[in-house]
Amino acid sequence: MTNNRQNRPETSARPSLVSAPVAALLSLILPGLGQVLAGVWRRGLLLFFSFGSSAGLLAWRIRLAARRENEVVKIFLKAIRLQPFLAALVAAVVVLWLWIAWDARRQVQDRHVGGAGVLVLVLLIFFALGWQITEIDLYKAVTQINEAGPPLAKIIWPWEKAVTQEESYATARAEISTPCMDNPPAPPVEVPGQPYIVVEPTCGVLSESGKPGTVLTVIGHGYAPNTKTVFWWEDPLGREFRIWQMGEYLQVQTDENGAFDAQITMPIIVIPPSAGPGPHIQHLEARQTTSVGAYKPSQELMLAIERMVETIFLGLMATLFGVVLAVPVSFTAARNLMGTSRITLAVYYATRTVLNIIRSIEPLIWAIIATVWVGLGPFAGIIALTLHSIAALGKLYSEAIEGIDPGPIEAIQATGANWLQTIAHAVVPQMIPPFVSFTIYRWDINVRMSTIIGAVGGGGIGFLLIQWIRLLDFRAAGIAVWFIAITVAILDYVSAEIRQRFA
Amino acid sequence: MLEIKNLTKVYEDGTVALKNVSFEVADGEFLIVIGLSGSGKSTLLRCINRLIEPTEGQIIWDGVDVTAAEPEELRAIRRQIGMIFQQFNLVKRSSVLNNVLSGRLGYMSPWSSLLYRFSAEDLQRAHQALYRVGIPEQAHKRANELSGGQQQRVGIARALMQEPKIILADEPVASLDPVLAVSILGHLQRLNLEDGISILCSLHYLDLVKIYATRVIGLRDGEIVYRGTREQIRRMTDAEFQEIYGAEAVRISAGLGEGDVPA
Repeated sequence: MTNNRQNRPETSARPSLVSAPVAALLSLILPGLGQVLAGVWRRGLLLFFSFGSSAGLLAWRIRLAARRENEVVKIFLKAIRLQPFLAALVAAVVVLWLWIAWDARRQVQDRHVGGAGVLVLVLLIFFALGWQITEIDLYKAVTQINEAGPPLAKIIWPWEKAVTQEESYATARAEISTPCMDNPPAPPVEVPGQPYIVVEPTCGVLSESGKPGTVLTVIGHGYAPNTKTVFWWEDPLGREFRIWQMGEYLQVQTDENGAFDAQITMPIIVIPPSAGPGPHIQHLEARQTTSVGAYKPSQELMLAIERMVETIFLGLMATLFGVVLAVPVSFTAARNLMGTSRITLAVYYATRTVLNIIRSIEPLIWAIIATVWVGLGPFAGIIALTLHSIAALGKLYSEAIEGIDPGPIEAIQATGANWLQTIAHAVVPQMIPPFVSFTIYRWDINVRMSTIIGAVGGGGIGFLLIQWIRLLDFRAAGIAVWFIAITVAILDYVSAEIRQRFA
Repeated sequence: MLEIKNLTKVYEDGTVALKNVSFEVADGEFLIVIGLSGSGKSTLLRCINRLIEPTEGQIIWDGVDVTAAEPEELRAIRRQIGMIFQQFNLVKRSSVLNNVLSGRLGYMSPWSSLLYRFSAEDLQRAHQALYRVGIPEQAHKRANELSGGQQQRVGIARALMQEPKIILADEPVASLDPVLAVSILGHLQRLNLEDGISILCSLHYLDLVKIYATRVIGLRDGEIVYRGTREQIRRMTDAEFQEIYGAEAVRISAGLGEGDVPA
């Protein structure tokens, strides 16, 4: 509110149209009106907008806090009850309102220029509102910090997922009859060199809710040593269930000879009548999955590499198209070349306007439009980035053209060179260094941007990244993040090097 | 021989830069135009090869009317008129050699010049020109790596490539210190004496004028207010001096005595 402009004679000299009490009253009705009529209209407008925006935002927050109420008083009371913090804000806004009225009176009397305190008050109101509107919750941020750990750790070190090994399965099964009959199933025939299990007894009663069934002792051998083994149950209808005991899937570790034993309570299985009357033959199976053979790159790693290559080329192609189209455009957007006649000047303004419009629309939006146009995939990304590159490069190039030194042009003309020779020997050599440097920089930007473009369907690694994040596969996402980071770092270095050469 | 007849230049904003200027430059002359900045010296020189279009008057170069020349004809005329500039006007990021070679463009076929394909003869000529201005070893440096004095010598070498009959020098030493100024004007004088190239040079240090000029004209507000020989300049009175440089002007010696005058 401290406005030194008020000190200027022409402003201070403007007479007040109203008397002091009237100014104060007017500012009570419409904050700032008193100041405007008192002749300090800038101050009046500033106060009007300060009060208007803070009061308006506050009203909105109050309405949101008491969504279900309809009466003004009830809304107000409920909002204050739910969020007492709003009461303080209301008080601050009221203070602001009264201060403005008092200030209007003061302005008529002596053109006071102070008011830094009120400026601080307005800023505080905005800060408090901003805190509320953006839902800042430091308590949550602190208490739930450990939630961020696991995904972060996976993203920072995702390489376990970068390799896989071939897996081999070892399995053996045994028959169990329910209920027991006269001659229970015989133990399976042992084949040398194959895994083998034997169950004791080979018949029993299935568990029912609250009534555990028969406990089976399973003894197995011939498995891979020191490997976890899991158990599956197959009912007479061929449905398979993994054995769940004591709140977790049962698994045992084989000893160094590849043998194990385990106690299994028969599971709860409802046999439908369609299975016919008992006794039924059920199967217990002990399975082992072992990783054997050499490590090889995982599918995720291969995909990430593939998409990263796609991303780099996406950026490259978009830059290429962008450059090819931006060069001619830039000539029509350079004032020193186009300022000669009214027609060329009109072209200049038209080009500038179109470039500004294209540039002000985010590449992300262009990508969405392009995916509707040509479908998902890298081509959509190329269209989006090309459009943005034309606009950005067109502007940069045209500024480079505007910045060339006219001296050499004059000198080359003076040697008797024609127009084309002058362009080739005086204009082009001056333009090449900035053109090269802007172009490389653009490629750098385009590759970086194409990672984001992918997120909306524009192809490249971003597409993969967003998919993996949505599947909560943070390790795979981590691989993508690493590739992006490495590529961006390399590009950054390379582009800086090249640009330095040409500077 | 260059004849300027009743030359007038009025810029679009109404500024009258030259008013009815007439003079001649005889072959082999070293004619110096003096006057304050803004007196019209640069406009005058640029009107001669039509870098600036004159408003009225005629410029006759060896019997040909420059002011009436068609573009093709104009380029043929420009080719014979070398020009050097206060700011050197080199392409700063190009090599010295390329800058010198560009002086040859008026003689080249369009295609080879667009592709930067200079003939062996032209290359030879360029090295020769650099040798003449005393910087043969700088040929492959970038122009902006050279000092101001060296850059102006490149400018002279570029003009030499045109095999000019006259050189227009627009304040060639205004961006240089006095020692370098003497060196650059010395080079011009050598071209004048050895090759018979006429020189039309604008300057604003009277002391240098006394050394090099064979004839002098003084410009003030676009009008010729003084004509004289070197002898007359040496004996110039304060009144005449103030006629050119304005009433407040005082003589400032650039520290160069008569002893520097070459025989």
